[in-house]
Amino acid sequence: MRTAGASRYAPAVSDATTIDGAAERLDVRGGSIQILRGGEGPPLLFLHAAGGAGAWLPFHGLLARRFEVIAPDHPGFGGSDDLPEIEAIDDLVYHYLDVLDRLGLERVDVVGGSLGGWIAAELAVHSPERIGRLALLGAAGLRVPGNMAADVFLRTPDQLVALLYKHPEAAAMPAEPDIDFILAVQRDMAATARYGWAPYLNDPKLERRLHRVSAPTLVLWADDDRVVPIEHGRLYAERIPDATLRIVEDCGHAMYFEQPEAFADAVIEFLEAGS
Amino acid sequence: MKFVFFHLMPYPYLPDDFDERYASPSLDFPSKHFDPKLGNKLYHRYLDELEHAEKLGFDGIAVNEHHQTAYGLMPSPNIMAAALARRTSKAKVMVLGNAIGIRDHPLRVAEEIAMLDHLTDGRIVSGFVRGIGWEYYAHSINPTRSRDRFNEAHDLIVKAWTTDEVFEWVSPNYEFRYVNVWPRPLQDPHPPIYIPGAGSTETMRFCAEKRYTYMSVYAPTPVVKRWFDGYRAAANELGYEPDPEKLGLSIPVYVAETDEQAHAEGRQHIEWLYHKGLKQGIERVMPPGYTSLGSLRGMLSGRGKPPNEYSYEEIIEAGMAVVGGPDTVGERFEALVDELGFGQIIALMGVGDMPHYRTIKSMELFAGQVMPALRRRTPAAAAV
Repeated sequence: MRTAGASRYAPAVSDATTIDGAAERLDVRGGSIQILRGGEGPPLLFLHAAGGAGAWLPFHGLLARRFEVIAPDHPGFGGSDDLPEIEAIDDLVYHYLDVLDRLGLERVDVVGGSLGGWIAAELAVHSPERIGRLALLGAAGLRVPGNMAADVFLRTPDQLVALLYKHPEAAAMPAEPDIDFILAVQRDMAATARYGWAPYLNDPKLERRLHRVSAPTLVLWADDDRVVPIEHGRLYAERIPDATLRIVEDCGHAMYFEQPEAFADAVIEFLEAGS
Repeated sequence: MKFVFFHLMPYPYLPDDFDERYASPSLDFPSKHFDPKLGNKLYHRYLDELEHAEKLGFDGIAVNEHHQTAYGLMPSPNIMAAALARRTSKAKVMVLGNAIGIRDHPLRVAEEIAMLDHLTDGRIVSGFVRGIGWEYYAHSINPTRSRDRFNEAHDLIVKAWTTDEVFEWVSPNYEFRYVNVWPRPLQDPHPPIYIPGAGSTETMRFCAEKRYTYMSVYAPTPVVKRWFDGYRAAANELGYEPDPEKLGLSIPVYVAETDEQAHAEGRQHIEWLYHKGLKQGIERVMPPGYTSLGSLRGMLSGRGKPPNEYSYEEIIEAGMAVVGGPDTVGERFEALVDELGFGQIIALMGVGDMPHYRTIKSMELFAGQVMPALRRRTPAAAAV
């Protein structure tokens, strides 16, 4: 099981309450990707944020108590190959349509956080019929002048942790990161830059296409999100026809890293309301 | 040996709380700190210094491109080259270089350099650089595409200079249906090209293949030696021994009457350059994807500290500046020539917040008392 990254990001959640996941590979055009999978129940596609790829987190383990969690690493992240032909958000949409086809998932619930929330929203715009229920957690993707997403690139590691967490002191980051750790983070950041440097973590056309989303949608936001401001959440909830906005208290943009139980509870409650 | 007088044109008037308050003089150091009256005087003073360098016998006078920074006031180096073109007549006018990695229109660079070649009657030298990391933030250019954009822009510009029929250009980052640059450059086949290197083996091989001049950036001598050795090795693999003049050592220099005086006077200006001018974290210099993971691993394993963490004594010791009386500076360069095997010194002499009179004094001592003996010098051994 390739979950070595888990401890480097997230606070511990009692093992007894979570379900393990395991890594597998899926061949795609031009290489292969890593998928973390665990749990039993209806399938749930989880699309990760810019941070946390390649790690089976406590949050996954909590969702896996009720769902079969399928968590692929995006191209260029975690255990997935670079797949340099995938250059931008539209390529990611087609990539995930291919992945859904390969996994035989005709229609699936999709949960996406931050960068992964952006991908999930684009996927739901492109192919609404493939999405069962949709949960967007602190999702990037919208261009909101005056409330643009904060720059995550122009930060020292300490500044980044302070930006992401409501309680940075609780973040589990290595005091003396080794070279492999630094390079793994740099690779994830480079992939984030590949898709989101400019326009900065947004697709200017997404907002006017959100009316196409047919899935019941939960827009879930941390109350102290200083990376993707709450205005983005309000706009998603306003533009998606069947959407509800919910707020998690006392939490930063690190969301399910900082408050895994609260985020898992809200997501499970929403997804199970549809069954 | 050839001598180039290089200017960064820094803006030296930083606020007293600069060190505590600002992460860097670059990218987001607000322009309210640029006083137009002082800045206006600076431009004329710095151009005077470049013109003076020609009178003193420097072979080249050089400018470069930086954006949104007090480190250097030349967002358009071609404008500075144009200002020098008809005020000078002998020295090469060197743009070191145009940051083609961040330009959306490489053909504009091809056009401007071709024009400058005519304005200088064939004295223009065309350097190409990728642009520093912070400039990718400033211009919203994706750093993960930096190297490809640089390579494609270079190929396009050179082809535009050397092709006298209309052609179509299609590459991943650029598409031009009608390339037909007027004027053609005066120099045949095109102006000489200089490329700075900071350790990438791709760049060394690229320069050796094209027989371009490879210039160092500010780094400790043993590091520069690895780069220059790499260039020579690449040339040897291609079956030739490179002319030492194809290697340029970039280095800050300050000369005064005696060693003691030189250190007493030069210290604060060298410190300004390294501790204020180059104050910048890695996230600012190397945004994600700007550097390949392989190169990044090399840098992290070498784990040299960033230039702005060197003390003055360490800067001198490491060979990141040459400071002293004329004899000491001459001897220091003799030793560096023997160790590194370069045939061109690209001297930064208006260093940091140095006042005009000191820059002029240092230039005159260098030109009058250091250059003559060094000029006859060729590297004793350029063995790889």
